[in-house]
Amino acid sequence: MIVAERKSIPELLDMLPNDSKILVLGCGTCVTVCLAGGEREVSIISSALRIASKARGLGYEVSELTIERQCDNVFIEQAIEAIEKVDVVLSLGCGAGVQAIAERFLKKPVYAGLNTKFLGILEERGVWTEKCSQCGSCVLHEYGGICPVTRCAKHLLNGPCGGSREDRCEVRPDRPCAWQLIYHRLKNIGQLERLEKIEPPKQWSASLSGGPRVIIREDHRI
Amino acid sequence: MKPDSALANKIGGKEFIVTAEYLPRTGTGTQIVEDCARTFKNGPVAVNVADNHYGVAMSSLAASVILGRAGIEPVYQVVTRDRNRIALQSDLLGAASLGIKNVLCLSGYHQALTGCPESANVFDIDSIQLIALVKKMCDEGSLLEGTKIEGAFSMLVGAAANPYLRPLELNMLRLRKKVKAGAAFIQTQAVFDIEEFKRWLEAARGEGLTEKVAILAGVLPLTGASEARKLNETFTDFNIPGDVISRLEAAGDEAAQRKEGIAMTAGIIKQLKNMPGLRGIHIFSGGNETVVPALVSAAI
Repeated sequence: MIVAERKSIPELLDMLPNDSKILVLGCGTCVTVCLAGGEREVSIISSALRIASKARGLGYEVSELTIERQCDNVFIEQAIEAIEKVDVVLSLGCGAGVQAIAERFLKKPVYAGLNTKFLGILEERGVWTEKCSQCGSCVLHEYGGICPVTRCAKHLLNGPCGGSREDRCEVRPDRPCAWQLIYHRLKNIGQLERLEKIEPPKQWSASLSGGPRVIIREDHRI
Repeated sequence: MKPDSALANKIGGKEFIVTAEYLPRTGTGTQIVEDCARTFKNGPVAVNVADNHYGVAMSSLAASVILGRAGIEPVYQVVTRDRNRIALQSDLLGAASLGIKNVLCLSGYHQALTGCPESANVFDIDSIQLIALVKKMCDEGSLLEGTKIEGAFSMLVGAAANPYLRPLELNMLRLRKKVKAGAAFIQTQAVFDIEEFKRWLEAARGEGLTEKVAILAGVLPLTGASEARKLNETFTDFNIPGDVISRLEAAGDEAAQRKEGIAMTAGIIKQLKNMPGLRGIHIFSGGNETVVPALVSAAI
C-alpha cells in the first residue's frame, strides 16, 4: 500500500487561507489503512482546525467527507457536491489523490494534508516499512523476494557494501542490511548461486528517471 | 590496453607493495597537495586520492592530477554515490587524458554519513559494475553501451574489501565478483583485529583469489582513543577492538596517544608482512599525511 504521514497542524495552518470554507477530504483506501488520511484522521484534523480557528480567529468553516478512493474518478463523483460548496479542499489522500482532485476541479485550490512517503507494508503494529520503489523493471525473482533497489540504501545489485553488518545497515542502526537478508533468504531457498552472476547496470529508463510514466492498454481503451 | 603504471608494475613483481592515502581538503589552490606530495616522495609506490570521503572536498580528479604533476603517482578514487554512468565515463576519459593510470572503484559512504546528509544520491551503478565498466573501456576500447573510445584508454583497476564483513561466505562472494569483474588490486578497510583478518585472508587464499588479485591490507594510525570511538560509532566498516582503544587511552595525553597510534600501526604492519597471500599494505592517512613516511619505513 501507499504509506503516508500527516502534516503537522502548524503546517496546515500556514498552508490554509484565512476566512475560507474548507473541506477536509479523506480517502478510504491506502491512507486509511496506514492511519494517515481516513475517516478517523479527517475527524481529528477537522476538530483541530476548528479549535485553532476559534482560538486564533482564522475564520475557517470546516466540513468533512471521506470517499472510497480519491485517485479514481468514479469515486470522486461522490465528492462533487461537497467540493462545490467550499473555497478550498484539504486532501488527506496520497499525492496521486490530491492531484486527481486538482485535475477534476480546475478552479478549486487543493492542498495536500499528508506527506506521501512510500510503497510499503505494515511490518508490525505502528511500524510501516518501504518495500518497493516502483523502478519499473522488477528484479525480485533474482534476490529471493527482497528488493535491493529499495531496501539497500545504495541500490547495490551485486552484493553488500563494505559497511554491511549482520545486525544493521550502514545508514541506520534500526534497519537491517538488505544484503544480509538477501543472502540468508537465497541460502534458505537453495538459490545462493544466483548471486554469482555479475548483474549489469540497471536500465533506469523504466523508472521515474525516464520521466513520468504512463501505461496505455489498447485492449481496454474505448 | 594493458595498464603501465608503477603500481601495475609492482603488482607484476614480487616485492611488498606500499600505497598510501591522501584526503583532499575543502579548499582551492595546489599548495597543500604539493606539500603532501613532498611527504610522499620516496615512499609509497602510489597514493590514493579520496573522492569526497567525509563531505565536499576538492575533486579527486583534480587533486590526482596535481599530485601526478608533483611526481606522485595517483590512484584516482571514484565513488558511484555522486555520479551517474554518464559523468563516471566522462570523468574516466578525462582522467586517462590527464595521465591518470590507476582507479579505485567504490560505492562510497552513504551521504547520510558525510557532511551532506540532505543531498540526493545517485548510485546509478554499483562498485562491481564500475569495475566491469572500466575493464570494458580498457579491453574493448568502448563505453558501456558500445560507443568506441577515440585514442588509447588504459587504467589499472582496483577495488576495496572489508575483511570484517560477515558471514565470511557472503564476504567471499563479494570479493570473488570484484575479481571476476576485473579488479587487479584490492585495498582493505583498516586492519586492527589481526586474527579475524587472517581468517578472511585464508578464506581468500583458499579460493585461489590471492593468486588472481593483489591484496593490500589497510592500516590506519589512530590519533587517539576519541577518534577510535568516533569512527566505531559513525561508520559500520570500522572494527576497532576495545583493547586497542584502551591501549591508546593508557598512553597518556594527546601527543602520547598519537605516538602510540603510530607504534601500534607499525606493530600491525610487522605482523601483516609475514602473512602468506598478502601483497602489501595501504596506509590510510585520515588526512594526517605526515605520519606516512614513518610507516613506510616500518613496511619496507
